[in-house]
Amino acid sequence: MRYWSWLFLLLCMPLYAAPDGKTLYEENCSACHHFRGQGGIGLPLSVEVLSQVSDDYIAKTIRHGRPGRIMPSFPKLSSAQVTAVVHYVRSWTGKPGPVFETTKIHGDAKKGNALYQKHCVRCHGKDGSGEGVGTGVTLSRERSFMIMPAALNNSGFQKSASDAMIRDIILIGRKSSNMPSFRGKISDQEVAHVIAYLRTLEPPAPRKGSEEWAGKPAYVMESPYDLETTVENVKQALAGANFRIFPQRYLEQGLTDEFSVNTRQVAIRFCNFKELYHLLNIDPRLGTVLPCRINVLEQNGKVLVISANVAQLATLFNNQELSEVGVLMEEIILTVMEEATL
Amino acid sequence: MRVIVGICLVLLFAFPVQADQTLVMARSDAKAGHVMEVLRETLPEYGYSVAHVQRCDGGMAEFDYKTDFYRVVFFGKVEEVRRILARHPEMSPYLPLKIAVIAENNETLLAAMDPRALSPMFPDDPELQLQLSRWHSDIQAMLEEMRRLKK
Repeated sequence: MRYWSWLFLLLCMPLYAAPDGKTLYEENCSACHHFRGQGGIGLPLSVEVLSQVSDDYIAKTIRHGRPGRIMPSFPKLSSAQVTAVVHYVRSWTGKPGPVFETTKIHGDAKKGNALYQKHCVRCHGKDGSGEGVGTGVTLSRERSFMIMPAALNNSGFQKSASDAMIRDIILIGRKSSNMPSFRGKISDQEVAHVIAYLRTLEPPAPRKGSEEWAGKPAYVMESPYDLETTVENVKQALAGANFRIFPQRYLEQGLTDEFSVNTRQVAIRFCNFKELYHLLNIDPRLGTVLPCRINVLEQNGKVLVISANVAQLATLFNNQELSEVGVLMEEIILTVMEEATL
Repeated sequence: MRVIVGICLVLLFAFPVQADQTLVMARSDAKAGHVMEVLRETLPEYGYSVAHVQRCDGGMAEFDYKTDFYRVVFFGKVEEVRRILARHPEMSPYLPLKIAVIAENNETLLAAMDPRALSPMFPDDPELQLQLSRWHSDIQAMLEEMRRLKK
């Protein structure tokens, strides 16, 4: 019995061994940043980028993420795990990262605003949210910028980047994203003004979906018609809203043999292709919730028309652009469902 | 013995969860066609039936996409679907489960919704919450297998 106890204890030991940065990176980061930081949905972690950012910045970025800009936060990783990931990423450059002073750089935000409008706005946008659609690099499609400019107004960026680090990047520039060096173009005091202005930037308040359906997994409406009539009504309403309708399926189709399928649960799949490609351009992971679908279920003597709560669903991607689309889609789908059940 | 087992259980449950994400994702070195093939074989090993595979890539080139492979695999267990829909018809938009298989040059990105993201919407149904966690574990394990596929 005593031996079993020690064996059990030994089996538990690996859980508390030093975290393996490579494994953690591959499990948590490689899907977006690629195996060696080449980038994908996520930004490339190139030697140039890594040479400009401190370990502290990387660690805080992992902790806080970039709300609304795809990069999730990892609040549940232990400090040791975060450090292990940072060390692994840093190992690609073969040298330690820069260390920046943490003292605040003081400047005049009003003067900084004027400088920002002159030098930065074209790429970083009026509100500092970065111009263009999507994030990451253009591995699969063309975009106006090869690498999306940083969202300077993002709370994750604001919490992660020290003033001194921002100052260095302004002075040095970043070749991989076509950011020019401003050394000799603006004075040290003017850089301080720009940083003071950047610290005033805030992301716009996100549009929210309907309060009535907030926190619910799906929109559910009861139809006064029978199943067949309701299905036809939904199809007509979708066609009226310019959607292409795919061949009808039963919810259980493919999961069981054709004689056992519940034919009182119908899935009506639909798509607007032009919109779909626009959305895939914003976030290629959208397929995880595709295609759009309205289900008609006959259950306990009732006919229910059900769609996923798309405003809620869109927030899963941590992509503000997609969240905005989710709110618009909510209005369209609710209109279709109301028309079908009137 | 009891003390040691107690310590081990505390350690096991104190072990931190890796990430706080709403999507489950993995990148595979292998080409999308191969990943797709292996995924179709892997799903039944976990007890799931492949309901159907939806092509989403038709006409992508017209919209500046260079990739030509984008599939969504729908899968599930009919008894689970029936049991859950009997109690929660509002779960129907999320069933069957699905995994997107996306080509990125010669590699493949796999993404699925983390079923646990639905948990807060069903606070009074621990059985469903357990089910959502089980689905998450299965999806994560399958995606991990795809991640380890060689070229």
